[in-house]
Amino acid sequence: MEKKKWNLRAVIPLATIVISLVYILVGLKDYGFWKGQPTPGFFPIIIAVVLLASSIACFIQIARDKDSEAVRYNRNELIVMLGAAGIILCTFVIGLVPSCLIYIFLWLKFVERASWKVILIIECIMAAIILGVFTFWLQIRFPMGLLLDMIL
Amino acid sequence: MENFASLLAGFQVALAPENIGVCLLGAILGLVVGAMPGIGSLAGCALLLPLTYKFNPTTAIIMLGALYYANMYGGSFSAILLNIPGDSPAITTALDGYPMARKGRPGQALMTANLSSFIGGTIGILILTVTASGLATIGLMFGYAEMTIILLIAMTSISWLIGENPIKGIVITMLGILVASIGMDTLSGAPRYEFGSMYLLGGIPFTPFIIGCVGFAQVIKLINEREADEKKRSSDDSRQKLSIKKSMPTGHDLRRMLPPTLRSGVMGTFVGVLPGSGATTGSMVGYAIQKKFKSEEPMGSGAIEGIAASEAANNAAAAGAFAPLLALGIPGSGTGAVLLGGLMMWGLNPGPLLFDTNPDFCWGLISSMYVANVFTLLVAILVIPFLIKILSVPVKYMIPIITCVCIVGAYSTSNSMYGVIVMFVSGIVGYLLDKNGFPTAPMLLAFVLAPMLEQNIRKAFIASQGGLGIFVDSPLKLVLLAVFLVLVLTPTVKAVRRKMGAGKKTPA
Repeated sequence: MEKKKWNLRAVIPLATIVISLVYILVGLKDYGFWKGQPTPGFFPIIIAVVLLASSIACFIQIARDKDSEAVRYNRNELIVMLGAAGIILCTFVIGLVPSCLIYIFLWLKFVERASWKVILIIECIMAAIILGVFTFWLQIRFPMGLLLDMIL
Repeated sequence: MENFASLLAGFQVALAPENIGVCLLGAILGLVVGAMPGIGSLAGCALLLPLTYKFNPTTAIIMLGALYYANMYGGSFSAILLNIPGDSPAITTALDGYPMARKGRPGQALMTANLSSFIGGTIGILILTVTASGLATIGLMFGYAEMTIILLIAMTSISWLIGENPIKGIVITMLGILVASIGMDTLSGAPRYEFGSMYLLGGIPFTPFIIGCVGFAQVIKLINEREADEKKRSSDDSRQKLSIKKSMPTGHDLRRMLPPTLRSGVMGTFVGVLPGSGATTGSMVGYAIQKKFKSEEPMGSGAIEGIAASEAANNAAAAGAFAPLLALGIPGSGTGAVLLGGLMMWGLNPGPLLFDTNPDFCWGLISSMYVANVFTLLVAILVIPFLIKILSVPVKYMIPIITCVCIVGAYSTSNSMYGVIVMFVSGIVGYLLDKNGFPTAPMLLAFVLAPMLEQNIRKAFIASQGGLGIFVDSPLKLVLLAVFLVLVLTPTVKAVRRKMGAGKKTPA
């Protein structure tokens, strides 16, 4: 018997079906649709109904389409996401600027295996952009993190 | 004549030292961002949006306008030298630009792209100067119902033009509207869909959302382009030495270049004015039309006519797209949506009244486009000897740099880690959508236009006390409604005809 493969492409319309149902239910329950005139729920509910209908059509279209290639996800793509998540998490401990500079170093050294010269140049450029443009020119106060807050 | 008097007044704004400075900065950044394969004008504008917070609205939009404009020039550099279009409007430039470079004339190909971009852009800005305020005058006749239909046309046409699957376009447009409805109700100010979160009460912040959807999503995709990029770079073609002197086109080249440039310049502007189209559509239409005319060499084999048609059309379309943006508040493309979002953020309300309420801003911006066009041409010519160096920055080194710029930019526009988290989540969502064939540009357009659409549709219903007749009670509304229906139905009819055609071909 042929084993039927689950088409990952169907995940997006399924997710939008769920989102549209949440918007319709919450909208009808909390914000209403019409009370002599349109209420706050009026417009989102109409849009959610259109989203629901188009998502169902999209889901059927994907389910019927046997020829399209399955979506392939690459491990490297996950590494980029994890890297960014790592910066966000580290920001709460060591602050945003050091987290970014450490991330750049780790990425270039261990993922790209770049030379020390390249790493140094890129670190200097990024430090100049973050500190020069954002901190001094735009006067953004970046979070210091628990550690730096304790020290300073 | 009145327009030209306003334009002269606009030059007083555009030629202020600060505005000249940002115009030049925008031109340089736009060329570099455009030349770097894989970033593009949309991500470029989104990433640089935080830098404009320091300026007043006019200066800020002048910088972003110059950047968008210069991007069209820059996109052709990597298309010609590496066969990697820096941005989607340069795809058609690569078709003839790269073969011409391989024939040993990379400098002439670059110079053709620069000159035709300049001429095409100038035509676009001239037409913009003449038509923009007229378009705004027509816009003043629009009430809530007309604006509702026009906004629906804008949203529908971009879904229709992007991609082959209109259903996906509709799904993504509706999703963008629903994301925009989180926070406060646009009319009453009551909390809506905030799900008990203090952060969501303020809505989804525009800049971090855009930076994530286009900037961070682009970085995630770039990781897969590293190997292809390395291969392309290792070829000898990318190591040719260039000089300005050797890049000068001959008189014969100029004669070949001029007719397609003028033709595509005019045609590209009108494509750019159409809601939902943009520079990419402009360059594709320009190239397709040029195919119907005679070229000295076959198109696709390094014909100067092909480069000229494509580049003139995309620059003209980029200029033309400012007309509906300023006059009606309707962006023509994803990049236009970023610019519109920026305008709203700075407290300006693009639309028919903008030319009356903020003439300095409107005419200053239009005048600055002439200045930006000249600056970009000069920088684009002067940069030719250094292009190989600029293009030699490998994609793999750009990944950590852009990731950090996304995070720092998202933080700086919201002054909170909430902005960074919004950027991160929207980046992953944008990447997943793109991976599954859902274009993100309609979502951005819908996100920006949703509050305007909701206000107009609700006010129309309040005025008509719930009657639908308000949408069909005048000839203008009927025409607009017919355009909307044609846009909605065309893809469906096309799909049905395609299926019927396929059914006939399949043997029983």
